[in-house]
Amino acid sequence: MKTTKLKIAGVLLVIMTVGFSFTMVNKVTIKGSDTMVILSQKWAEVYMKKNPGASIQVTGGGSGVGLAALINGSTDIANSSRPIKPAEVEKLKARYNTLGVEIACAKDGLSVYLNKANPVSSLTLKQIGQIFAGKITNWKEVGGPDAPIKLYGRESSSGTFGFFKDNVVKTDFSPSCQTLPGTAAIVNAVKKDKFSIGYGGAAYAEGVKDCAVKKDDKSPGVLPTATTIKNHTYPITRYLYMYLKSRPTGETKAFIDWVLSPEGQKLIEEVGYYPLK
Amino acid sequence: MVSLCGIVSAQEVEKDTIKKVSLDSLAKTVNEHSEKFAGYEEKFSGLEAIVNELSKIKVSGYIQAQYETYDTWSSDGTVHGIPVSGSNSYEDNSFYIRRARIKFTYKPIDGVNLVLQPNFEVHQVTMKDAYVQLNDRWLNTFSLWVGQFNRPTYEIEYSSASREFAERTLMTRTLYPQERDQGVKLEADFVTQYNFPLKLQFAILNGNFGQGSLSSQAKDVDNAKDFMARGVYSLKMMNNSLGIDFGAHTYLGHTTVIAQTTPPTVFTDVNNNPFIPKVGDKFKKDLFGGELQAYYDFLGGMSLKGEYIRGTYSGTTNTAQVNSLFNANKIRNIEGYYIAFVKNLGKLFEASVRYDVFDPNTKMSGDAITNAGELKYYNWNYALQYFFNDNIKVMASYLMPINEKSQNAGADFKSDKHDNTFTLRVQARF
Repeated sequence: MKTTKLKIAGVLLVIMTVGFSFTMVNKVTIKGSDTMVILSQKWAEVYMKKNPGASIQVTGGGSGVGLAALINGSTDIANSSRPIKPAEVEKLKARYNTLGVEIACAKDGLSVYLNKANPVSSLTLKQIGQIFAGKITNWKEVGGPDAPIKLYGRESSSGTFGFFKDNVVKTDFSPSCQTLPGTAAIVNAVKKDKFSIGYGGAAYAEGVKDCAVKKDDKSPGVLPTATTIKNHTYPITRYLYMYLKSRPTGETKAFIDWVLSPEGQKLIEEVGYYPLK
Repeated sequence: MVSLCGIVSAQEVEKDTIKKVSLDSLAKTVNEHSEKFAGYEEKFSGLEAIVNELSKIKVSGYIQAQYETYDTWSSDGTVHGIPVSGSNSYEDNSFYIRRARIKFTYKPIDGVNLVLQPNFEVHQVTMKDAYVQLNDRWLNTFSLWVGQFNRPTYEIEYSSASREFAERTLMTRTLYPQERDQGVKLEADFVTQYNFPLKLQFAILNGNFGQGSLSSQAKDVDNAKDFMARGVYSLKMMNNSLGIDFGAHTYLGHTTVIAQTTPPTVFTDVNNNPFIPKVGDKFKKDLFGGELQAYYDFLGGMSLKGEYIRGTYSGTTNTAQVNSLFNANKIRNIEGYYIAFVKNLGKLFEASVRYDVFDPNTKMSGDAITNAGELKYYNWNYALQYFFNDNIKVMASYLMPINEKSQNAGADFKSDKHDNTFTLRVQARF
């Protein structure tokens, strides 16, 4: 009889431990993409106002840093401005036995910034790739003045860097591409240098001009606008993602549901990005 | 009026003087700062060049320190524990540094990795990985590995730092001793460039790593090269909640008779018939395997993993080629498999159970077996892991081997030999 009671107590203890481990979470941490920091902070701020008991903590560092933090368990949500890499999924499989959960939460266009005084105003995707790969080094090769092209880009931990590399450059960046910490720094650099070129979120292009991007030689140049990014006619359009280890529960689920709700999606355009629908 | 004009012009003069002085001093200060910045820039350029070079080197590694208890008894109950190497005594528990490895990865340019991984043991340092990996920069699909690296099977390539159990299965440890080999490997991974989740691996290997003395593993001993191939396809279903990876691999190799003794060494064939081989004779090591790993996101993730291998395997007692887990002059039809279930419990715990079977001689069973090395094993392994943080985890693992019974393979194996092992391991990785 005593043994039976002990067994029941043991089983109850195991059930309580397992159950408790799923219900402990009340604070949600978000880490990753610098592109998404302002957007996530806005979401967190409004959500916490509406839900006084909730605590949402947002930090940047870059998409790669956020996904590494997700894998090592130091964040609940990883913000990423590029899709997760197969190698990162393998790490999630090894540690958590899941493929991770991908939640597209907004749309963004990557602008190619040009100085306002630069007579060049449109380029094909191929030309942009070749410029950043260092194969085209002078503006005269793309119909501009005889002047060397100065390149500005992001650090390799940045999702913007990864997305631009995978979808536009498609090879290594030129070693002469100067890396700067954040899109705002790139915009500032391009603003000051007539013959420079940079890339970053469409929302940041203040004091510089957006380059109209052509899919190929025969296509018309398309500027990154709300309409062209939403309908994907602008060629360098991407989703912004949240990644989780496994299906969300508790406060994390409530927050994500709210982000995807019309109320959460409405905030996206306030910070310069575009809602999913 | 005059005095007012006088005041005004005095003020103007004073203002002009201040302006001139201020501008001069400002210009001087700006010049000084410019020079300082130029100096810092020069210093920074030098430091940046050093940091850029250093960032091409990555150092990682892990230590596994453990306490083991061996619930091993002789059949008559008089001897407890396992033999202590080099003595006549037995030990039933021990602390043990299972792994102390540092992995250096140097990436001189994009697409090239140089990897060196020594393993530190109490009495020696051995080289585990030493290879050059060349990734194709045009298609982002192919990579060529040259040097010493893991043989391409799921269980081998799954790092022991990530593994949910204390040791790999008996099947893998026997058929692919010490996991690695020297040679060249070509990998094609179609997921990055084509979003097609297929991975193919082809390798040509010496085929003698993990066999014989360390010095004889440094180079090939028989000139003949072994071939390995593996293909894995990944499926995602149910909105990525369910992922299934499945694939197959083959190993086509040989055991070559590189020397004959006097009197001649007798081998036995797959039917246990004796024969005397000549120097230069080659015996099959042909293996064919299938694998499956399924991952399901249910209350924190779980997985079911399995592999099956069958084929013909050969071994020799020649000191330059001996495989300690297939230690006989023989050719055998072999078969093995394992099924492992792993469940994450919250963020910090992971429970797992594995059942693995290895039959080193499918043509013989029961009392017909006269050598313990021919017995089939059914192993149960239970483990619980606690992840203290990203760097440190604690594992408790209990292994229960159950052997096939034979009245003629030694007193210990007339019934199931008592040979369970409990391992408590702390792993730190960096």
